[in-house]
Amino acid sequence: MANSKAAAKAGNSFEPDVVIVGSGAAGGMAAYVLTRAGIKTLILEAGRDYDPVTESAMFKWNHEAPLRASSTPEKHFGFYDATANGGWEVPGEPYTNAPGSVFRWWRSRMLGGRTNHWGRHVPRFGPYDFKSKSRDGLGMDWPISYDDVAPYYDRTEKLIGVYGANAGLENHPDSSPGILHTPPKPRVTELMIKAGANALGIPCVPSRYAVLTKPMDDPHAPRQACFYATPCGRGCSIGAAFQSTTSLLPMAMGTGKARIITNAMVSRVLTDERGKAKGVEYIGKDGSRHFVKARAVVLAASACESARLLMNSKDGGLANSSGQLGKSLMDTTGTNVTGHIPALESRPRYNEDGAEMAHLYIPWWLYKEQAAGKLDFPRGYHYEIGGRFGQPGAGLGLGGNEDGYGLSLKEDARRYYGAQLGFTVRGEMIPNNDSYCELDPEVKDKFGLPVLRFHWKWTDHEYRQIAHGMQTAKEIIERLGGKVVSPWQSPEQAIAVGGWIIHEVGTTRMGASASDSVTDGFGRTWDVDNLVVADGGVFTSNAHKNPTLTIMALAWRNMDRLADRMRKGEV
Amino acid sequence: MTEISRRETLAWMSAALAGPWVVVPNGPAAAQGDTGLWKELDVAPITVPGYGSDPNLLKPSVPWPLTLTDGQRADLRIAADLMLPADDRSPSGSALVLDAFIDEWVSAPYPDQQRDRRLLLSGLAWLDAESSARFGHAFAAAGDSERRAIFDSIAFKQKVQPGYERPAFFFARLRGLMLGGFFSRPEGMKDIGYLGNVPSTDFAGPSTEAMAHLHAALAKLDIRSA
Repeated sequence: MANSKAAAKAGNSFEPDVVIVGSGAAGGMAAYVLTRAGIKTLILEAGRDYDPVTESAMFKWNHEAPLRASSTPEKHFGFYDATANGGWEVPGEPYTNAPGSVFRWWRSRMLGGRTNHWGRHVPRFGPYDFKSKSRDGLGMDWPISYDDVAPYYDRTEKLIGVYGANAGLENHPDSSPGILHTPPKPRVTELMIKAGANALGIPCVPSRYAVLTKPMDDPHAPRQACFYATPCGRGCSIGAAFQSTTSLLPMAMGTGKARIITNAMVSRVLTDERGKAKGVEYIGKDGSRHFVKARAVVLAASACESARLLMNSKDGGLANSSGQLGKSLMDTTGTNVTGHIPALESRPRYNEDGAEMAHLYIPWWLYKEQAAGKLDFPRGYHYEIGGRFGQPGAGLGLGGNEDGYGLSLKEDARRYYGAQLGFTVRGEMIPNNDSYCELDPEVKDKFGLPVLRFHWKWTDHEYRQIAHGMQTAKEIIERLGGKVVSPWQSPEQAIAVGGWIIHEVGTTRMGASASDSVTDGFGRTWDVDNLVVADGGVFTSNAHKNPTLTIMALAWRNMDRLADRMRKGEV
Repeated sequence: MTEISRRETLAWMSAALAGPWVVVPNGPAAAQGDTGLWKELDVAPITVPGYGSDPNLLKPSVPWPLTLTDGQRADLRIAADLMLPADDRSPSGSALVLDAFIDEWVSAPYPDQQRDRRLLLSGLAWLDAESSARFGHAFAAAGDSERRAIFDSIAFKQKVQPGYERPAFFFARLRGLMLGGFFSRPEGMKDIGYLGNVPSTDFAGPSTEAMAHLHAALAKLDIRSA
């Protein structure tokens, strides 16, 4: 953001009411809500300043980039991905895995956090998803219900801008009228999948993405409609694809009530003798330590980073009288199935870029069968579907059909380009006692702060779900006359490792009682009255529906409550 | 999850974000015993820095030095022209400087590229060894029919000569890189018919021809159009 450097200088003289740790989906939303309530808010971001308007590599061609823009350990999602100084590894900021565990942790060290590059798929949780234990006896029920969150889903969708359509499906709630932007027309590949899926009784409906298809005016964050070109993951200089840096943060700054300090790694939440939060300590880029005083502290650093901050704030962990801090770590299950479809070979060319992400998807459809005990796994999944005439890179994606050499190889490329369909399985994981994070007793990061050590285990619930997802994708591919060309593995091999889907949540979960949860139903920690968690740490369960919309809706709800309590003098 | 499948997932995720769906080819993960003239070369690791975790995305540049010899580059140009010869729709592989792309690739200091470096350098050495054994001279000095005879031993999946599995794996990897290197260039994109990366006020969706093709395909599969 253009003005945050100046703001950083001004930050020292700015006396905030609330300090927010993190500037991504949760932190941006928290800042937006609090500043609108007239509350002076300081946002501390561990990473550098970042401006999508001037830094996004929109329209750059793959052939202009090193290695045709392929992914590398320094740019894990490819050269042009918006992520700066982040990824599966962050230089100088390690994490560890306990013996026998594999967990990967994607972090971002930049203003706006992971919203700068995220997938932007924003399905709503439904009524079942907040009360899943009541349905199948597993995991925990949330202390809140869908009805509590529904108004905030509406508001959040309206604010961030979402294209999609109301499909009226079980446990996939519709939005209120007038909220959703018109979804783009489906591509041929998506219509093909829809036809094959429907033939098997499986729904395929317009997907919901946080991408504008009509402009949204705002004096501080004007956003244009999608112009149907260049990948969203590079960042969107016109603001069509939602990111905190082109909407929530400038809107918060526009109130005059917010300040941002970048390169500020929060090291501790400080408490007074009564156990109230009195502010935070952060470490600057030069190693200097700073104290920021505030009436309330909001954690929005991402589920695991916020949990770590609490662990590093006090022996045994701050706000951890329940012992639940770091526990209940969940990700989404994932695997991919690719099929080659002969009927799509040599199909007529047209510009298939569209709004970058999928225009259709397959929502979970077997609730009744699950309730009737007809499936051998308890929780659902969805498919994000794909296949298109994409911009060629170092891999052309011919489904392994290319052969030989010479003019026939050129013909192979023309024939098989765009003839593959992809099914990305995204499923619900149930929290288990073997999946959690804690402080590593030995390893410290470049700031001298203890790092996280992850423990991870999938169970048969997840393996059986993945097996079903693979098998059903295969059936759709075969119904379309195709064959699977991706490696066909056992579910234990095929399931993505923990953390890989980047939906990690649950480490500061909310609950109905102080004895078995870290926060109440408004993200307020049971132990520290003026300490509120706004990020995905509060999730009690993790429906297969991508978490960011729910993170933002809950952040809004939690900040409304915090603002209300501050107004009443309770904080 | 194995390392290979993790990389595949990564390739998939990159593809999901970046555009084309990438399928990493299957193949023998390592040499399964020396066969024929194949020798897995000891290749010194590349230790120069990469582009870092925060490169300037608007002015991309390749910071690492290229490392292939003139002879290796010449062999790659020959291979590129056999692999992707010129026709009326696009130029040849060497005209699109695939040798430079492969050099950039195998000179990069990243694990995947260094794995490919060992494979491709071993493969180029094998081409010379095979050519010398069969024809008495190096690959570059061989005639067109001699080069094709060598390629014919390893290029066709169903017709790989016994004992040539590792060279065939090398060939498949070289082919995959050359296909990507070729069709990602403007001339290649024009040939293959990539029409995107241009802004428009509306997404037109499939063309009339594309929809007609879809409907015909579904009819053949006895599926009602959605």
